[in-house]
Formats: sequence, C-alpha cells, structure tokens
Amino acid sequence: MKLILEKSIKNRIGYSLPPDLFEDISLEDCIPEYALDKNKKNLTAVSEVDVIRHFTALSKLNYGLDDGFYPLGSCTMKYNPKINEKLASLNNFTYAHPLAPQETVQGNLEIMYHLNKLLSEITGMDEYTMTPAAGAHGELTGVLVMRKYFLDQGKKRYKMLIPDSAHGTNPASAAMAGFQVVEIKSNQNGTIDLSELERLMDKETVGLMLTNPNTVGLYDEGIVEIEKIVHGKGGLLYYDGANMNASLGILRPGDVGFDVVHLNLHKTFSTPHGGGGPGAGVIGVKKKLIPYLPTPLVDFDSSTKQYYLKEVGSKSIGKVRAFWANFPVLVKTYVWILSMGPEGLYKASETSIINANYVLAKLKKYFKPVYDRYCGHECTFTGKEYKKYGVKTLDIAKRLMDYGMHPPTIYFPHFEPYAEETIMVEPPESESKEMLDEFIDTMIKISEEAKSNPELLTSAPHKTPIRRLDDALAVKMAILTYDDELNYQKRQ
Amino acid sequence: MRYIPNTEEQKKEMLQEIGVSSFEDLIQAIPGHLRWQGKLNLPPAMSEMEVEENLNQIAQKNFNFSQMKPLIGAGAYLHFIPEAVKFLLQREEFWTCYTPYQPELSQGTLQSIFEYQSYIARLTKMEVVIPSIYDGASATGEAALMALRLTHKNKVIVSQLLHPHYFETLKTYLEPHNTEIIELPYLEGLTNLDRLKEIINEEVAAVIIQSPNFFGGIEKLEKISEIVHSQGVLLINVIVESMALGILKAPGEFKVDILVGNTQSFGLDLNYGGPYNAYLATKKQYIRQLPGRIVGETVDLDGKRAFVMTMRAREQDIRREKATSNICTNHNLNVTASNIYLSLMGTEGLYRTSLLNTKSAHYLENLLLKSGKFERVFTYPFFNEFLLKSKEEIDKLDKKLLQNNFIPPLKIYDFYPENKFKNTLLFAVTEVLSKNVLNKVAQILSE
Ligand SMILES: Cc1ncc(COP(=O)(O)O)c(C=O)c1O
Repeated sequence: MKLILEKSIKNRIGYSLPPDLFEDISLEDCIPEYALDKNKKNLTAVSEVDVIRHFTALSKLNYGLDDGFYPLGSCTMKYNPKINEKLASLNNFTYAHPLAPQETVQGNLEIMYHLNKLLSEITGMDEYTMTPAAGAHGELTGVLVMRKYFLDQGKKRYKMLIPDSAHGTNPASAAMAGFQVVEIKSNQNGTIDLSELERLMDKETVGLMLTNPNTVGLYDEGIVEIEKIVHGKGGLLYYDGANMNASLGILRPGDVGFDVVHLNLHKTFSTPHGGGGPGAGVIGVKKKLIPYLPTPLVDFDSSTKQYYLKEVGSKSIGKVRAFWANFPVLVKTYVWILSMGPEGLYKASETSIINANYVLAKLKKYFKPVYDRYCGHECTFTGKEYKKYGVKTLDIAKRLMDYGMHPPTIYFPHFEPYAEETIMVEPPESESKEMLDEFIDTMIKISEEAKSNPELLTSAPHKTPIRRLDDALAVKMAILTYDDELNYQKRQ
Repeated sequence: MRYIPNTEEQKKEMLQEIGVSSFEDLIQAIPGHLRWQGKLNLPPAMSEMEVEENLNQIAQKNFNFSQMKPLIGAGAYLHFIPEAVKFLLQREEFWTCYTPYQPELSQGTLQSIFEYQSYIARLTKMEVVIPSIYDGASATGEAALMALRLTHKNKVIVSQLLHPHYFETLKTYLEPHNTEIIELPYLEGLTNLDRLKEIINEEVAAVIIQSPNFFGGIEKLEKISEIVHSQGVLLINVIVESMALGILKAPGEFKVDILVGNTQSFGLDLNYGGPYNAYLATKKQYIRQLPGRIVGETVDLDGKRAFVMTMRAREQDIRREKATSNICTNHNLNVTASNIYLSLMGTEGLYRTSLLNTKSAHYLENLLLKSGKFERVFTYPFFNEFLLKSKEEIDKLDKKLLQNNFIPPLKIYDFYPENKFKNTLLFAVTEVLSKNVLNKVAQILSE
C-alpha cells in the first residue's frame, strides 16, 4: 500500500482553521531571522477523505483482539471493555490541564486516591504511585526506590538477583538503575534454585526481582523460603506483576512479603495495548519504602475536604516523567475494578488458570510442555520435537495465522537447557471454551501438517496481507524513512 | 460476569478434562497459609449503568473543562484536534493489538510508524527517528544516557530553562550513573551563552538545551551548536511544544546530535498530563546507541514492500542488561494519533497553525502590555508562550479567570522561586483562543 506521503496532491488540504485576523502582525516581527524557517516543512497534502480511507485501509492490515484469539503469553490480551473507553474520554477528563489549579481537578484526584486504595487491597501493599508509564518504567522506578532505601541507610548494595526466566526488562531496568545484574538459574521444576539463591544473596545484593507465577507460567513453590533467604540477609523483594492475572483474590504479593510491586494496568486490568502502549506500570510499596516513592502522591485533606497532590519529601527518588500519570489508563482500571467487584476479580483469575491448564492438558500429547506441572494463567510448550521434520517454533506460529489466529508468544522465555523453542500460550478469562477448543484443534492439525507437509509450515503464512519478510534486508537497506527510500532508489 | 464467557457447566467440564476435581487442585503450588481466604475488601460489582453513573458523578467534580480555555501551557498545550483523528483511532485494529512482533498481522501499525518516522525526519531534518518514548521528560533522560554511552564521559551541562519536570526526571535517570550535572543559568529569558563558553570543555558529554525554552524563548541554536561542537561535545535539543516546528528552522540545520521531541501538541488530548509521547532523533552514525523501537522497510517473499521492527539487537528482549534501554511497551497509539494528525494538517495546515499560534500569542502580549497592568521581566523572542509580570497580586486574577472559564496561566514563581518572579505569569496562547477571546482575556486582566 502507498504511504500517505506518496498520496500527496499539490494544493489539496485536509485541515480547517478560522481566518487569520491578525493581518497587522507579521511573522518576521515576531520571530528572529536566526530561527525562522524560510520554507514550509514538507509533509503531505491530502484531503480528510483521503486520510479516512488511508487509515481505514491500514487498520485492515492489522489483527486486533476484537478480531479473534490473541493468546500472547506474558501479555494478558484480555477483552478491553468498551464502557472503559467511554468513561476515560469524558470531556472533563480529556480537557484537564495537568497544571490546572487543584480545586478544579478534584474528580481526577479522587480517582487516583481511590485507585491507590483498591490496588493496595488487591495486592496487599501499603501505597501506590500512579506515575510510571509502563511496566518497565515501573520496574525502573521500583528498583530506584530500593536503591535509595539502602543508600539512605548508608549501605552500598550494588547487585540485583534476577532469574534466567525473567523478562528482559528486569535486567535492563536493574542496569539502568546502576545495578550489576546477577543471574539465577532455574531448576528442573522451573523455579528458583534455593541453594543458588542462598549462595548469591549477600550483603552487597539489594534483593531479588521475581515474577510469580514466573514467565513459564509456574507458581514458585519455594516462595516462603525465597522470602526468608532474601529478607534474612537484609535484602528486598521486587514483584514483577505482569503476571498478576493468575493471582487476583488468590495470592497477594504483599502477604508473601514482597516490598515493591509493579502492575501492568494494560495487562491484568483490561486496558488496551494500543499496538504497543500507552499502558501504565503503577507501583505499590510497603510502608518503609513510601518516603522514597517518586513525587507527588495524592492525598485527602479531611479539614478542607479536598484531594491534593502531596510532595513526597527529601528522600523521594524525584520524578521519572513529566506531570503525574497516564490518567485515562487509571480511569479504565478503576472502571474495570468497579465492574468486576471482588468476586469478579477472583473469577477472572480462576477462569484464566483453568483456561491455561485446559489448553495444557489437551495439547501436551502434541507439544511437549516445558515443565509438566499444573500452570498458572499461561502454559509453555516447546516446539523442539518438530525440528526433526525441519519445522521450527516460528513456522508453527506463522501457520496459526492462516487459521485466523494470532500466534502465542514464541522464543520467550528462553533459558537452557529447559526452555528452548518455546511457545507460551496465555488464554485469559475472556476466552471461551469454544474458542480454546478451536485453538486446540488447530494446533493439533498443525502438528499433523508439520509431519506430513512441513513445507506448508515453513512457507506460512499464506493468507495474510503480506508473507514472510526479509529481516536481514531491512537491516542492510536501513530504510527508516520515506526519504531514505527515495535515496535508496536513486542509488540503485 | 459479562466479560467472562465460560459458564459453571463449562468450568466443570474443563476441570474434568484437566483431570482434577476442583480448581483448588490446580493451585497447590501456592503454600496454604499464603492463599488469600475470603473476599477482597472492595466495592461490590456494579452494572454498566451504575458504573457509568458513578464515574459521571466523579467527573462532575472537575470543572467543566470542555467549556474552558487554558491560558497555561508549560509542557501541555490545548490545540484543536480534528474529529477524524479520534474517529480513526478508535478502530479496534489499532487499539486492541499489541507490539507488532508478527509483521504479517501488523502492517497497519508498522506502516503507520514508518510514515510517522518519515514526517518527523522531514519536520526536524534529522536522519533517524525513534518514534516512541513515554514522554519528553523520560526521553530527555534516555537521550542523556545515550550521550554518556556515546562519549564515555560523565558530565552534562543542562540549561536551567529546561522544563523543571524534565530536569527533575533527568536527575533521576542520571543519578545512578555517577554523572555530574552542571546547571547553565539564563539571562534575559534565554540560556546564557557566555556562561556556556566559560564552563564547557572536552570533558563534557553533552549540553542539553530546550527551545523554545520553558519561558517560551527561542534559543540561538546556531550559536549554541558552534560553541558546543567546537569542544567536541554532543548537543541535545529538547522540543516540548512541537507546534513551533511549523515555522522554526529544523534542529537538524543546527547539527543537533540528539533531538527529543514531545509530541503532545500533535493530536493528543491534555488528559491531565499523560499519556503523551516523545520521539528521539539522531544521526545515522549513532543509531546503535538508540533506545527503543524503530521500523524499517523491507520486502516479503513475493517482493512486496513491507515494514518491520528492525535493528533490534539494541533492545531489552534480546540484550537484557546490556540493552540500550529497558523500554518495552511505549506510547504507540499516540504515534498513530500524531501520524493521522500530521496527515490531516499537511504541509500547509501545520504551517498555518504554527503561524496562528505565533501571532495570537504576540497579540495578547501586546494587549496586556498596552493595558498598563503588566510589564515584561525580560525581552526575548518567543513562539506561543511568554512571561509577564502583573502589577497586581495574581491570586485575585486567578479567581477572575476561573469565573470566566479560563484556566489561569502558570505562576512561574512556583517553579523558579526568585524574587523577580513574584506575580509573574507564564502565558500560553494557541489557535484555540480567537481574537475575540483574547480581547476578552485582556479585558478581564486589566479591569
Ligand atoms: C513479565 C513481564 N515483565 C515486564 C514487562 C514489561 O512491561 P511493559 O511492556 O509494560 O514495559 C512485561 C511485558 O512486556 C512482561 O511480560
């Protein structure tokens, strides 16, 4: 499809503006010569109709969650309720300026205040900051809080323990916060090797970042010992809440002893993924860490009956972004929690766990589970067994597209010798048994195709708007803008 | 529950197929004493009707903002957003999908990002564009970290006229990396270049300058670039009000090394401060140190043009602790919004909107000066934001403005607590304030 820049027709317009009534003011009088551009920036010239058709056509090249099954592991692609969108886009919210006087934004502050209480109850934490913009941003914020806590006590702990099964953002966030990352190997049960933990957790180590259930989808059975070891040696426990969808009303990270928790509101809490955000990565902490949270928090003054932004104080890590939060994402979360109620939240986790175990039980004859145990809200297989037919996990994923489904997460997690060629399926509570059965049947069919006609898989997909891409060529050509493309053509 | 399709019967069937008698059997790995007993202490589930009523009531506790016009910017600007932007954005194919890891099912998102990268490259005359970091402040932090990696040095000079929230964020991002931040003072509303000349030397990794700066002032980027580059130092330029690019020379013309552009002004709602978006642009030679995702062009098996996330060996999912950044989920939907916005505006629309912003702002400044109730604290060239000192106590003005449905300008003293800024306001004027409305503002403020 042509780029919108290629559809440009001289003198065509897609904007409308009121007339310029400032004839007596000249641009040259306002803007000094050193800064004024003599030329207009060349973007495009298209009509509103062109724009509507172009982006509608583009949208049809995408596969969204409302199109069908989207079992992307670790991403919790659950249904995004439509009422959430409506209420997050009420004019009083969308037109609120972040620096408007606080008495004018009492509604916003009330939502932030209450959401803090709701999330604290759900996770067993003492206080949430609404600030971080995504999970990784929450991780960075959280580990900076841990760092500051120790520095404040005059302790220099510079290492962070991270399991080999952790999401890539965990080590990357720890490194951004200046920590040296120490990897812990997973054992044959897919969980943390306790003797390794015992050995590595020392006085120079700030603590452990843990996902539970972990990225393979397994609850760590050693959680009680893990807590004892880390806290026993003066460390702190960080909970990556990307997998919180397995724990609502079942297991509160705060009760386990986690000191910091981040939640991906765009996962467990039903807000849409937007093709890669925006979401929100709020973090909750235990009392002793509140003074280190980014500033400000939201509080309520009972004498004036006003909500207000409260400075955190001199121990705060400072700010991690401009202004306060990804506010509409908070509204959607709030609406979802109110719509679900406590029973609904529990039901969400219960259903997602049953869904995942159902898929695991029905598929394990055809695809080997990475670990053959009951799983949490997602299950992980390996495509290794199909290598002998010349078929990789990638090929299985691509073939699924021909059957109208989005592939699961593939090649993550990856750690040897247990998790290779992985296929991680997360079927959240919004997926029905019929949908799962269709997926299971399709996967079984693909497993048969892999043996009888592997070429069908290795050349898949066949029914998508485009076929497989040449990744190496993209790197080689390095065409990153339309003008790069024009230059490239000239050179050829 | 309407979002959970499976019935009790289906649940039983599924448990049977799994081979367990109850759900509890599936979660035996959770130690019993940790298992949450009973019900979470949360409000009972509400029907859609009730939840809507509830939220409407809360929203009413805000002022009626859609009837109000802001005279404040300071990092968030109310520009007009054509309805087509919002309409298109609601298409579920853009809204409900995730990161385009599977390009065969994501060409819509990928092409849109590529188009956006193309627009930003043209607007800024920069070579490479990373489309999405969370916002301008976090992107400024990322840009500084990138400069440290590129230079292996650990000092940065930062103009005091960088947005204070960006400055605070920058400090947080740099704090763990043993970096020295040297503040560069201002003079007459612009960054003090004589001072820059005095303090810069080869040990500095980068100089960070916002233009238009926090006071709205248009910095002398050509001179700054000369000074900075004469010492082999990197120049990081931050643009908070991207609308200025419609009429200002592109940063690329001044050989800016890393450009941070906050793009809230391109089709994004105010939303009480987020989600916004920022791009990071640089020269091709620095590409390997860029944080975040980028989209490139390639072909599929049939030779058809297609788009894909590329140069991924920088990212956290591949490099883990050695990645250039931890960023994963970014603000992609806002990239789509800005792409649609820029397409509608086009060459002419962006220029005219930018022009209208300039003229309207200068018109109001002039009216207020003429009223005799305001005076300048500095004289400097500006785009659509400017400082004026009121001869009256400004708290009274706030009330009057709110009563007349205006969100008051920023009290600059709150961010720069210096005596000369007592009763000084930072006004922002965009195209949403017509000449009539500006006359009214001036009248209210000079009564
Ligand atoms: C386990 C885990 N941790 C952290 C993250 C990072 O979250 P985000 O993408 O919102 O930054 C993700 C998801 O991408 C994840 O799956």
